[in-house]
Amino acid sequence: MKKQYLLILALAGLITILNGCLFGGHYKALVVTGQNNHNWKASSPILKQLLEQTEKFTAEIIKTPEKGGDMNTFSPDFSKYDVVVLDYSGDSWSEKTKSAFVKYVKDGGGVVIFHAADNAFPEWKEYNEMIGLGWGRTEKDGPYLYYNRANNKRDEQKIIDITPGKGGSHGKRHELEVKTRLEEHPIMKGLPVRWLHGRDELYSTLRGPANNMEILATAFADTAQGGTGRNEPILITTNYGKGRVFHTVLGHADQDGGPAMECVGFIVTFQRGAEWAASGKVTQKVPYDFPNAVSVSLRTNFKEITLEDDLTKIPTYDLTKSTKYFVNLQNRIRAEGKSPNKLLEFEKMMIKILENREATVDAKKMLLHEISWMGSSLSIPVVRELAKNQELKESADYAMSRLQPLN
Amino acid sequence: MIDKSTRRDFLKRSAAVATGAMILPQIIPSTAMGMGGKLPPSDRIVMGAIGVGSQGTGNMRTFLEHVKEVQFAAVCDVDSKHADNAKKLVDETNKNTDCRTYGDYREFLEKEKLDAVCIALPDHWHGLIYTAAANKKLDIYGEKPLARTIYDGRAIVSAAKKNNIVWQTGSWQRSGENFRKAVELVRNGRIGKIIRVEVGLPDGGRGVGTPPVMEVPAELNWEMWLGPAPKVPFRGISHWNWRWILDYSGGQLTDWAGHHIDIAQWGLGMERSGPVEISGKGVYPREGLYNVPVEYDFNCKYANGIELRVANSSQLPKKWGGATWFGEKGWINVDRGRLVASDPKILDEVIGENEFHTYKTPTNHWGNFLDCVKSREETIAPVEIAHRSISVGLLGEIAMTTGQKIQWDPVKEEVIGNTIASRLLTRPYRQPWNLPTI
Repeated sequence: MKKQYLLILALAGLITILNGCLFGGHYKALVVTGQNNHNWKASSPILKQLLEQTEKFTAEIIKTPEKGGDMNTFSPDFSKYDVVVLDYSGDSWSEKTKSAFVKYVKDGGGVVIFHAADNAFPEWKEYNEMIGLGWGRTEKDGPYLYYNRANNKRDEQKIIDITPGKGGSHGKRHELEVKTRLEEHPIMKGLPVRWLHGRDELYSTLRGPANNMEILATAFADTAQGGTGRNEPILITTNYGKGRVFHTVLGHADQDGGPAMECVGFIVTFQRGAEWAASGKVTQKVPYDFPNAVSVSLRTNFKEITLEDDLTKIPTYDLTKSTKYFVNLQNRIRAEGKSPNKLLEFEKMMIKILENREATVDAKKMLLHEISWMGSSLSIPVVRELAKNQELKESADYAMSRLQPLN
Repeated sequence: MIDKSTRRDFLKRSAAVATGAMILPQIIPSTAMGMGGKLPPSDRIVMGAIGVGSQGTGNMRTFLEHVKEVQFAAVCDVDSKHADNAKKLVDETNKNTDCRTYGDYREFLEKEKLDAVCIALPDHWHGLIYTAAANKKLDIYGEKPLARTIYDGRAIVSAAKKNNIVWQTGSWQRSGENFRKAVELVRNGRIGKIIRVEVGLPDGGRGVGTPPVMEVPAELNWEMWLGPAPKVPFRGISHWNWRWILDYSGGQLTDWAGHHIDIAQWGLGMERSGPVEISGKGVYPREGLYNVPVEYDFNCKYANGIELRVANSSQLPKKWGGATWFGEKGWINVDRGRLVASDPKILDEVIGENEFHTYKTPTNHWGNFLDCVKSREETIAPVEIAHRSISVGLLGEIAMTTGQKIQWDPVKEEVIGNTIASRLLTRPYRQPWNLPTI
């Protein structure tokens, strides 16, 4: 009995390891927090949740002493981790901890700099090298970096500005227009190249050494919102020694995270950035609910909307209220339509709603149009039935003319 | 050949004289009796316009400038304000008040005796009205993209050919000097054997949410505006913005396919054929009435192995719009107001007498149409080519909708072994509208 149990455990362990090898590894992450001029008590648990959601990370949170506390007591063994996520801006670490961190990165450790962590340690030279650009830096640390604004993205250029002055500012919070600058970078590959980020505070006029640094994406700091009128770097990578650093300025946390953290654009770039920092690769799929140039996309409670959620909402569908759940279904079909079995599954679910007497006319119309191209003979009975309904006849005819062409 | 075209020309003219004399003597303005360098009215091309919104009015204005050759007699639009404005424009040119207005193209085609018509409508109306006008044996200046579906496009081509009409597509880039030069350089091997092509089109999509149902303005015949498209209540979206809704348009992709894909295929010598394999990915608005792709990116393979990538230009490595051909010896990019090459010397190359030359138009794109109406020659943007240009965009749309790799037979114009994709070659028409069978 005991032996069998051990065998099962061993097998389970082996499967986990195999799983890790086959599906992009399993990484250990450490979220460092405890002091911040931002709402770290809200953001840190969210960051841990987001990492673990990918099923690629196990994550721990470590808190430094409170402000003014004895920083000598903070000396984590960074070398145990594949990636260290900094949600920290506060007292300087001990020299011992600082040099341990530098060694960790130089030896190939991954780092994620989250939002206000680029406010931290302005006097720490090595840290400035790691983050590339930061808040509260001056001309002695390096230039301002941004992309200018033009009507055509083609004409937007990276500007290196050595004007003396303080780094760091932001306008009012607003939805941000994001543009990818390095489409082929593993973190960005496959994402829409333009998207709207949920309401956030846009860090602007950051400056720093910017060595071995790449700007993956910028966001437009709208002058109407008190912004600079420039495309400000928001996703940055640097190489420091053998280490990789991913720096996201997004994610200014409200009490419960709020739209800046609920934004699928923030979530996904954070998750992909963390994997890249840990391994140099990104194996995560782009989710179907990623935002785009016309649509912000938020995940309430940081959970992806499931197919079941969509199927529960579609029958109550009222065009004037929201088309979101129907569009979700459409996007799922587009993303998974390659598989005939998957299409058949979708069709069966759609037939159920078409047969549902409680489902709204708007819902049925939408589904009839969709099923017209992806349905099979399975759909014909219910479409015929709905053709008898005055309100649905036209949509049913539409579907039938494709499902069963006259010739 | 000369005999034949002269004869056809003659017959056409005789008919014009006859109809002019017998049925419509009232439209001949006193100012147009062959004075002041103008042709006598009976020799002028009698034109009408269907769809006189912004694009249609623009086309008509250009034709009106050819006052010596053209006489406008009537205009038609489902928006009476559009029709009234267009009539005003015609009357000002004709110095009378005789231009007739219609709200229904069927009545317009039935009552008017015209030589030619310029048509600019939302894409979902192209199939019905282009074929109806062709079946009335009217020469047509028709806006791109040729059709909303490949099936509609083929029906239009067949009707135009069967009726022997002169057709000019509004893809005016074909008459542009830099586009023609680019095509000639590419076709004559100045960048070597072509390996691949990129077409960069404008970023797509808009967001509008779902506006509330509104009262239809008195001047707009909403039922007729919708025509064969699904019946929906009016939400304030009609003119111009129809291009953001899939029932009427494929968005920026299909709007611009008629321009830059057209040029790209011309350079490849594929303008009367098409790719054999298409696959790609679109990004769509997540909410609301507008549902055309915001981003689109698809790849087409031709039988000779050449690949064509079509995407909104923000996704392309150099963010270039227009067509870029990559050959073994260099590249050429052409867009509106731009012609660049890997080596600027390529652009100074002279095309020899015995090499491939594009069609030369002594006038502009609109003038070329009028010349051809008279000569019965093929225009610079014939209907078959317009059909093949938009077909590439529409196949890309099908690949993105299904998420599948589409195998295409450009000769038979059939999707190979894929029922689902085949269904998307058409869009069902709402009764009582039906496209005449091909």
